[in-house]
Amino acid sequence: MTTGPASVVRVLWRQRALIVVLVRRELNARYRASALGFLWSLLNPLLLLFVYAVVFTYIFDPRFPGGEPYPLFLFSALLPWLFFSGTVLDASITLIDNGPLLAKVMCPPEIFPAVTVASHLMHHLLALPVLVAALIIAAIAGWHPFPVTIWMLPLALAPWVLTAGGAALAVSAASARLRDLRDLVGHLLNLLFFSSPIIYSLDGLSVPSWLERPLRFNPMSSLVEVYRSVVFAGRVPEPREWLIAIAVGVVAWLVGAWVFSRFRETLVESV
Amino acid sequence: MKGRLCFAGVRKVYRWRGTPVRSESVKGAVLQRWLRRRRTAVQEHVALDEIDLVVAPGEAVALVGPNGSGKSTLLKLAGGILRPTSGTVEVDGRVTALIELGAGFHPEISGRENVVINGMLLGLSRREIEARLPEILDFAGIGSFVEQPVKTYSSGMYVRLGFAVAVAVEPNVLLIDEVLSVGDESFTRRCLDRLARMRQAGVTMVLVSHDLDLVSAFADRAVYLRDGRVRSVGPADSVVARYRSDVAGTTDESSECAAVPQRVLEEGRRWGTGDVQIESVELVTDAGPTRLVPTGTPCSLRIRYRAHRAVVDFVFGVAWHRTDGAHIAGHNTELDGLVPRRLDGVGEVRCTYLSLDLAPGEYMVDAAVHARDGRAYDYWREATRVRVTSGIEWPGTWAPPHRWEWSGSVWE
Repeated sequence: MTTGPASVVRVLWRQRALIVVLVRRELNARYRASALGFLWSLLNPLLLLFVYAVVFTYIFDPRFPGGEPYPLFLFSALLPWLFFSGTVLDASITLIDNGPLLAKVMCPPEIFPAVTVASHLMHHLLALPVLVAALIIAAIAGWHPFPVTIWMLPLALAPWVLTAGGAALAVSAASARLRDLRDLVGHLLNLLFFSSPIIYSLDGLSVPSWLERPLRFNPMSSLVEVYRSVVFAGRVPEPREWLIAIAVGVVAWLVGAWVFSRFRETLVESV
Repeated sequence: MKGRLCFAGVRKVYRWRGTPVRSESVKGAVLQRWLRRRRTAVQEHVALDEIDLVVAPGEAVALVGPNGSGKSTLLKLAGGILRPTSGTVEVDGRVTALIELGAGFHPEISGRENVVINGMLLGLSRREIEARLPEILDFAGIGSFVEQPVKTYSSGMYVRLGFAVAVAVEPNVLLIDEVLSVGDESFTRRCLDRLARMRQAGVTMVLVSHDLDLVSAFADRAVYLRDGRVRSVGPADSVVARYRSDVAGTTDESSECAAVPQRVLEEGRRWGTGDVQIESVELVTDAGPTRLVPTGTPCSLRIRYRAHRAVVDFVFGVAWHRTDGAHIAGHNTELDGLVPRRLDGVGEVRCTYLSLDLAPGEYMVDAAVHARDGRAYDYWREATRVRVTSGIEWPGTWAPPHRWEWSGSVWE
C-alpha cells in the first residue's frame, strides 16, 4: 500500500458516500437535543455580529483605511477564520473521539479529519446569509456600498478549505500521538489569529519593522485579504494575490497530508 | 479464493510512548529531540512473534491462551486494524470483526441511522444496507426503539444491534473476540445459531474465547498462544486438552504429541475385541465436519473404521443421548435391513439424516461395530458430542419443522 498525499485523496474519494453520511450524523447529533436545531448555525454568527457591532461602535472605535463600518469589516474576516480555527480545534480530538471506530470496526482514518472540515464548512455556508443580510442593510443605510464581487466567494473560500484540510489532517494525526498538542493547538491558533489581519488591516499599520515583516509574510494574510476583498471591499484581487492564496492552500494541504501519512500506520495504537 | 487468511513470519511489537520518529524532516527531528529529553529508553513489548498460520476458506480456528498471550492482537492483525511490525498478513475477501459490539455507535442519533453508518463503515453501500435493514432490526429485536437515540438503549439492545449489523455484512471472514459472553442467554443462543449457520455457508471464522467447551464445539482447529508465540496448533480437542493441562499445572514438557489427551479421556468408555476398530466418528455437513450444527441441517455421521482381519459378521450402529443420559435415538445397519458381506482394511460408513430435527442443546453420540449376537468389536460411548443450535429455544428433544392450521380468523 502506498502512502502519502495521493493515497489520502484516493481513500477520501472511495469513501465519499460514507463521509457524506458522517457529516450528516455530525450535524444531526449536534443539534438533536436543542430546540432551535439548525437555526443555531444562523443564530451563532448573528449574535456574534451583534456583540461586535455594539462593542466596536460604542466602546472602541478602531479606524483603518477602508475599514468602515468596522463591525462588518471584522465580520468579513472573522467568518472564514472561525471556520478554520473550529476545524483545527475539532481535528485535534476527532481521531481520539472516534478511536472505537478505528480500533474496533476498522475504517480508514482519513475520513475523520475530512468530516471535520466538511461539517465546519457547512456551518460556514449556513452563516453566510447573515453576512449577506448585514451587507444589504449596510448598503441600504448608505454606510457601505454592496460588494458585487461577492459571487467570487467560492473561489476565495477554496484556499481556506485546502488550508483547513491540510491543517486538520496534520493536527488530527499528530495530536493522537502527542496528546500535548491538543492544549498547544488553542494557543497556536490564538497566535495565528492576532498575527493575521483579521481585527486590523495591513494597510496603514504603523508597527516596528521587525514586527511588520512577519505579519506581511504570514501565509494566512493572503487568505484573509482575498476573502475580505471579495465579500467586503468589493475589489477583485489581483492575479498575484490569487496565486499566493492558492499556493498557500495547496502547500498546506500537501504538507498536512504528508504528515498524516507519516503517522497513519501507528495511529490505531495511539488512540 | 475468498476467505483465506495467511500469516507469514508475523511479529508485532508495541512501543510505549516515544517511538523514535525517524528524523526525515525538521518536524521529525524536533519531535525526536523533544521526546528524548523526556525519557531515556523506549519500552518495547513483543506481543506476537514468529506467527505462521494459514486458515483455509470455510475453516473455523480458535485462539486459546492466557490473558496477554497475543490472541486479540492476532485478531486485530487479521482484521487489518493493526499492522505487523514485520512479516505479512494476507486476507482474501471481506473481513468483519466482532470485537466490541456496537463500538461505532453514536449515542445521540437513532438506531436506524447508526445501523446505516455502521454498515457503510463495514463496507456496504447505502442501498445494500437499507435493503438489509428490516432483517437487521428483526434480529436485534429492538422494536419501537429504532428511531430513538442509541443512548436510550439498554446495554443488551446495544450489543444485539451491533451483532446484527456486523453479521448482515455477509463477510467472507468473521473475527470473533469473546462477544458471545456479553449478552443474556437468549442472545448468546441466537448468536451461536447465527454463527453456526454462517459456518454452514462457508464463512471462515477466527474465534477468541475463554469458553473452552465452546472452542471444542465450534472450531475445527485451535491455536494455543503463550507469550506471543504459538505453543501448539492442531485439532481443537487436543489443543484445548493441552491448554487445560497447562493451566492445571500438570504439563509434561516432553510430551509433544498432540493426539495423546484424547485417548486418555476414553478409558472406561470403550470396549471390544478390537478386530474392527473405529478410528473416528464425525458429524459432517455440506461445509465439512463440525460439532456445531443448526437444527434442521442435512448432515451425516461418518464412521471411519479399520478392520484388522476380514470380518463377515458385523453391524454398525449409532445411538444418540442427551447429556442427562436420556436415550433419544438409535439405529443400526441390521435394523435397517442391510446384509453384511465382508469388512476388511480401512473404510468409512455414513449414516445420513435428511434433516437433523433436534431441539437446541448438547447431544452425545455412541458408535459401535459389533457382531450380530451383540459381541462388540469396538463399542465407543460418547464417541462425539454435537451441539445443536436454534434461533428459538424449543423445549424437549425433538424440534421438527411444523406449521399451524386453523379455520376462521383466529390469528392474523
